Amino acid sequence: MLLTLVVGVATLWLAATGQLILYIHPRYVVFTVIMIAIGMVLSIGVLALAPARGDDDHDHDHPGGHDHDDDPAAALRPRRPRRGRAAARGIAVGAGALVTIVMAVALVALPPATLTSATAGQRDVNSSTAALDGTSVDDATGASDETYASFSILDWAGLLRQTTDLSFYQGKTADLVGFVVPSGDDPDVFYVSRFIITCCAVDAQPVGVPVYLPDWREQVDADDWIDVSGGFQANQSGATDDPIALVPDELEKVGQPRDPYLY
Amino acid sequence: MTAPLRERHLVDHTVDGPVRRRRSPRSRLLAVGAAVALVLVAVRLVTPALGPGLLPNTLQDFVTLTISVIVESMPFVLLGIVLSIVVQVWLPQAFFTSWLPKRPLPRRAVISFLGMFLPVCECGNVPLARGLVLKGFTVSESMTFLLAAPILNPITIITTHQAFGWDGGILVARLVGGFVIANLIGWLFSKHPDPESLLTSSFAAECAVADDHGHGVSRLSQSVDLFRREMSTMMPALFIGAAIAGAIQTAVPRSVLVTLGSNPVWSVLAMMLLAFVISICSNVDAFFVLPFASTFMPGGIAAFLVFGPIIDVKMLALLRTTYRPRVLAQLTLVVALTSAAIGLVVNFLA
Repeated sequence: MLLTLVVGVATLWLAATGQLILYIHPRYVVFTVIMIAIGMVLSIGVLALAPARGDDDHDHDHPGGHDHDDDPAAALRPRRPRRGRAAARGIAVGAGALVTIVMAVALVALPPATLTSATAGQRDVNSSTAALDGTSVDDATGASDETYASFSILDWAGLLRQTTDLSFYQGKTADLVGFVVPSGDDPDVFYVSRFIITCCAVDAQPVGVPVYLPDWREQVDADDWIDVSGGFQANQSGATDDPIALVPDELEKVGQPRDPYLY
Repeated sequence: MTAPLRERHLVDHTVDGPVRRRRSPRSRLLAVGAAVALVLVAVRLVTPALGPGLLPNTLQDFVTLTISVIVESMPFVLLGIVLSIVVQVWLPQAFFTSWLPKRPLPRRAVISFLGMFLPVCECGNVPLARGLVLKGFTVSESMTFLLAAPILNPITIITTHQAFGWDGGILVARLVGGFVIANLIGWLFSKHPDPESLLTSSFAAECAVADDHGHGVSRLSQSVDLFRREMSTMMPALFIGAAIAGAIQTAVPRSVLVTLGSNPVWSVLAMMLLAFVISICSNVDAFFVLPFASTFMPGGIAAFLVFGPIIDVKMLALLRTTYRPRVLAQLTLVVALTSAAIGLVVNFLA
């Protein structure tokens, strides 16, 4: 029950402060909040209506919680000797308490956070292709300057994947907000990145636009959120797979946006 | 449940049940609960001041991913428990059993489609299946339901169709595959001479406790008691499963799996491994796997969509509350082999 309260309080707080979207897609927020609320009401009901077994509360939040020695079922299982069950139960209680404490700290005490560049690097920026086909070159060719200004990292990453024709990018500027992920191969290139989410943070796929900026480490660090704008040019660094990179005109550090993921 | 088992418990519990009930200090419990909740809220309100960057990136991502799995699954687990309570406490005893065919094979076939009326994803199905066992389903029937319902349910079908349409036979392979596997497993375990021994002793005890109710105890307090028991069983399992899934994802580079994608055999195995690790709900896994569709062959996707809802890290932890480890090992083996076969067939046809 303690665990239910921990999760319930943590989730409702996240929802109230709009940070639930750090973990799940916005379309699930309402469903989640409703179910958690029902769960909280039932938990309070449990406490109010007092369980049938009065001694069976806090220390029983673990899978073996109902292995009472006087359980009739125990008698039906001759293969499991009674000797050692007390010890096993002690371990189970300890494990249950440990899980409760660890989860309470993780959910309630630690500040909520987005995924970091560690996961971005581990999942390979732009390795997910279907998500990048959302904006096609044909659609984008006739678009106005304002449309280009509103293009997200996802749009640009998609375009860069579909065409490497430099003339297409001529005279177009991108204005992007994302976090910095170092390029594995090249010290002069980093990716300005976002995670795209289809369901929850578990399935987050990093997308990013390569930025060519020698000695960028003097200005920004990995995981910094930046607002960068500039045009696209042939990537002067030979070490990466990206033939075209953004060359920044302006670059400034910004705070993390309230909705850090793209959908 | 066999009849002798029930009678024995009934006798036992009428003896010691009321004695225990008398000791329960209601108001104190409620006060303690309220105090705990208040402390939690207070801590939660104070700690954001600490700011981010407290943990190293990898550890932070592990925590984030674990919480994400929990937050994503919790509502479904709660929904499953609520439905399970409805099935166990509020529906008449014979609600499901009366109209089902009596012969085992068609009976299990019909049970595979129960998910059409109980649209819960796999994590919610565990408490629901437990409820159905308590309500008179045999162990093999509960397994059929458990394996079929996450796939043969309206939400999953709609999301899979939205994601893939009819491309490459993925949707058909998923539905047919789920049905076949569920009935295969149900048939295999129905041959077991002693089905009771498939269950963990703690769950067998649950069955006993549940039988004790209904004698003068109000339905409301029955429901609440059931909720407490199901939650205290499911929550630790969910948390441990989520933590393991989070840890593996932080540790194993995604690219290792993706590079295997274009080989007909490896794509199937890699996607099954991914499904096992990622532990995502069947209602939404189609959207998750969509980005991989261009890298992986359709058989790999189909194997992911058949295997994932049935067996994954989180599910094994949840299933462990009910079935013995040996049963889970056999289950995993059979489901893995069948899913792989389905994937390979789809790859061969595609």
